[in-house]
Amino acid sequence: MVLAKEILNPEGMVLCGAGTALTPALIERLIGMDIVDVTVEGHPVILEGEKTLQEELHEIDVRFQRVEDIAPLMYLKKRIQAKLAAARNTEAAAK
Amino acid sequence: MDEQKRAQFKKVLREIKNLPTLPGIVAKLGKMAEDPDTTTEQMGRVISKDHILASKLLKLVNSAFYGFPQRISSLNSAIILLGFNVIKSLIISASIFEVMEAQDVELWEHSLGCAVVCNVLARHLGVKDPEEISTAGLIHDIGKVAIKMELPREYEKITELSQEKKISRLEAEREILGLDHSEVGSWLAKSWNLPNKLVEPIACHHDPHLAKEEQQASAIVHFANIMIRGLGYGHAGDIWVPPLNNKAWKLLALAPADIDPLLREVEEKLWDVKGFSLDIQTGQEGAA
Repeated sequence: MVLAKEILNPEGMVLCGAGTALTPALIERLIGMDIVDVTVEGHPVILEGEKTLQEELHEIDVRFQRVEDIAPLMYLKKRIQAKLAAARNTEAAAK
Repeated sequence: MDEQKRAQFKKVLREIKNLPTLPGIVAKLGKMAEDPDTTTEQMGRVISKDHILASKLLKLVNSAFYGFPQRISSLNSAIILLGFNVIKSLIISASIFEVMEAQDVELWEHSLGCAVVCNVLARHLGVKDPEEISTAGLIHDIGKVAIKMELPREYEKITELSQEKKISRLEAEREILGLDHSEVGSWLAKSWNLPNKLVEPIACHHDPHLAKEEQQASAIVHFANIMIRGLGYGHAGDIWVPPLNNKAWKLLALAPADIDPLLREVEEKLWDVKGFSLDIQTGQEGAA
């Protein structure tokens, strides 16, 4: 897994830059520093109860179903769905 | 709608008893901000008298929610860097945060998300004091909280009607109460003596074309509400993305090429604010 965002300590100092690969040793050190969450690239971990891509795309369709005649909102929907699919495909490619 | 009934609901909601009032310090700071002779030190002294408020203010200033690039560690530097008006709107946010967070977590998440989108949009559009627009986004649905607290029975009826008839919460409110949360929110904001820059976006977030003075701020909150609903972040009472007002869309003048970068920035910031709470007992700054 690769860091998508830098890790900062509570004082705002950068501990680890974006793009750093997370090795077991580095993860151990971060735990030692009380870092409880980090942002990584793609979608490498499927959490329990997480929806499938198809389910999420369908939910987006439902949310936008009453504004189908409004072109800018249909474009917004298309981009939200494309972003979601791209993130999930990165995950599939990583496997 | 029975006119008498509408007047009755209006009376109950106008007399709001269950929502806490804003701390007196907000009014005091408002007066100080208008006085050109007020110094940074004087203002800092007034805020620091309330230790909890001062800690919350610094925590809020340094959170991803407002996204200032550098860390701000003292009240005086916060006032100098951000200016009186921004500090005032931060204090309002800090005070309202608790009320909303305690009432309805999902609505709270929707409001927090809306505030994040407002901030991203305001910065993109080069608006002066984007923090004020964030505050407007944060409290745009305060009327829903007021209806829930003052008219709990009607609140339940609104939920049922919206689900039964598959209509938006806004339509259900209008049907049951003869008024809606944006109107209620604007009364509340006026009763707190909030500036028009906050009152109008609250009043007009579903009908931004009705804004008289704060058209841009109203248009930003209107579209931020649409975007955050589209992203499915939090829950605002029904699942549907509300319609886009044409006049507001023209005013924002966003190009298709703007959407992807805006979405990317919003999603990053939403990650950063996830789980953000002003509970200073559990926060890092609590010990300071």
